[in-house]
Amino acid sequence: MFLLPKGNPLFENLAVTKLKLPDVLLKLSTGGFTGYSSFVFQTSTVILVFEAGKLVSALLEDRNGKRQNGFEALSALAELMVSSGSGAMNVYKLSKDLTMCIHALLEGETLYKAQELKLIDINSLLGKVKNDRMNGCLRIYTEEHSAMIFYKEGNPLGFFHDGSGDIESSSSESQKIAGLPGAKIDLYATQSVEEIMGINLLEVANIQKIWDATVALHQSEIDRTNKERQERDKKAATLRLAELEEQVKVIVGEYVGKVGRGIVDKELSENGGNSCLIDEAAFAKFLSGIERAAKLLISGTNIKAMMEKLASTITIARSDS
Amino acid sequence: MEKFFELLTHMNPFDLVQVIFWGMAGAISFYFSMGNARVWTSISIGFFLIFLSQAYGINPWGHYQKLTAFHYIVGTVAIMMITHGFLEYYVFCRTFEISGNKLIVYLSTLGILAASGVFLMINPNPSPNTIRNIRMVENAIWVFLCVMNIELVRKIYLAIKDSDISKGFIAFGLVFFFIFLWKGSELYLQIFQWDQDWQDIIALMSDESTDFDQYPARIQFSQEVRRYAGLLSGISVGGTFTYIYRLLK
Repeated sequence: MFLLPKGNPLFENLAVTKLKLPDVLLKLSTGGFTGYSSFVFQTSTVILVFEAGKLVSALLEDRNGKRQNGFEALSALAELMVSSGSGAMNVYKLSKDLTMCIHALLEGETLYKAQELKLIDINSLLGKVKNDRMNGCLRIYTEEHSAMIFYKEGNPLGFFHDGSGDIESSSSESQKIAGLPGAKIDLYATQSVEEIMGINLLEVANIQKIWDATVALHQSEIDRTNKERQERDKKAATLRLAELEEQVKVIVGEYVGKVGRGIVDKELSENGGNSCLIDEAAFAKFLSGIERAAKLLISGTNIKAMMEKLASTITIARSDS
Repeated sequence: MEKFFELLTHMNPFDLVQVIFWGMAGAISFYFSMGNARVWTSISIGFFLIFLSQAYGINPWGHYQKLTAFHYIVGTVAIMMITHGFLEYYVFCRTFEISGNKLIVYLSTLGILAASGVFLMINPNPSPNTIRNIRMVENAIWVFLCVMNIELVRKIYLAIKDSDISKGFIAFGLVFFFIFLWKGSELYLQIFQWDQDWQDIIALMSDESTDFDQYPARIQFSQEVRRYAGLLSGISVGGTFTYIYRLLK
């Protein structure tokens, strides 16, 4: 995942779920913000780089290192903000030069990628950076450590390494990593600040539309899920009621005989179906109907036992549901 | 009261026993009608009315012809009430529907009896022949409705045979069988003019004859069937209601 210089933090750990992407971008844009904003989610991180209020870069990297940028990254960010349910937003103000370097790191041209330091003449490489007056970032890393050196027009702006709170002027950490066995380098070059300033993703992409479409899609997804859940619940309730109805029929049949099932059917239909079994008032009416019919068929002792059994069965069923 | 006891002493002991049994059956069935479900009301009131219809023998005012005719009309109402009750029970077994209330049944019965009384009052005094005709109509209705009730009871039994009360309907089947024999034998004697009423009538009417003496065996047999089946009917009704009362307790 990205490890970027924090610069001057404006906001940290803002809950993403409470934010609206168009509002955030509008605020950063109209405020002429320079720096970057990071959105940290469980599955991925999104970096938006601003230069004087212009969105010059948008990059998403997921847990597996897969990257998306530009419009795709913005769409994915909108989706993550709407659907993830968690996440934090940080906003760091940086100097124009450092912003340029961040842009280089994220989206600049890759001149060297995973080159082993021991196979490279580092002095001539640094000489080339100086001579070519390059803007960019040199990343030195091993499997466990990493450090970055930011350049502007060939001159180092500063050093950044793991655990750094900010750009540092000391190169000792970078040198230490460079001395580790298996150290590698990446070299990224970017355009000048003036050229970067020409890009503004906010003009290219209709953020409001992306956001609205994402919200609508998410809402429809929620609606669909709710509907499915309701249908599932309804099915489960129907099944439970059918089982309860069968239990009631078995009990009444046990005492009254085979006509018991018919009596239950008739009373259920007169009391609005088997849902009356879980409604207190309707169930009392149902029981009274069963008792009235049973009086024509069985003894008072058996009626009493049957009614007690029915009542306890329904009480258990109600407490279970 | 003196006249009542005089009637009792002059009454055939067998008929007296029969009336006493019907009195007991009537009391049991009436008691049963009060403490049980509505559907039983018609049935038990019907059986109670049989007692009233049979009680003409001990009625001190039984010599009033209109009152005698009323006794027979009560008998007709009795079997219609009983049949109505069993029909309702059968409908219940098929549809599980129970409708109406006891008070309406009691009031309707009283209304029918009152209307019958009014009918007798607004019409001329019935002759012995008219009274015999009313009695014959009563017996005919009893015979046909007994057959119908045996079939109803059979169907009810099949529908509810695994319930507590089902055996009570077998007992009712037996009751209707005895009543069928009782009323059937009486109707048989009336149709062939071998009944006592007809003998009394022709004793006063010189232009009528009878073949009574030509068939003594079958007349004797029918009379015996009438007597014993009548007695067994009363006993079986009382017994059946007592049995059902115990089944439903």
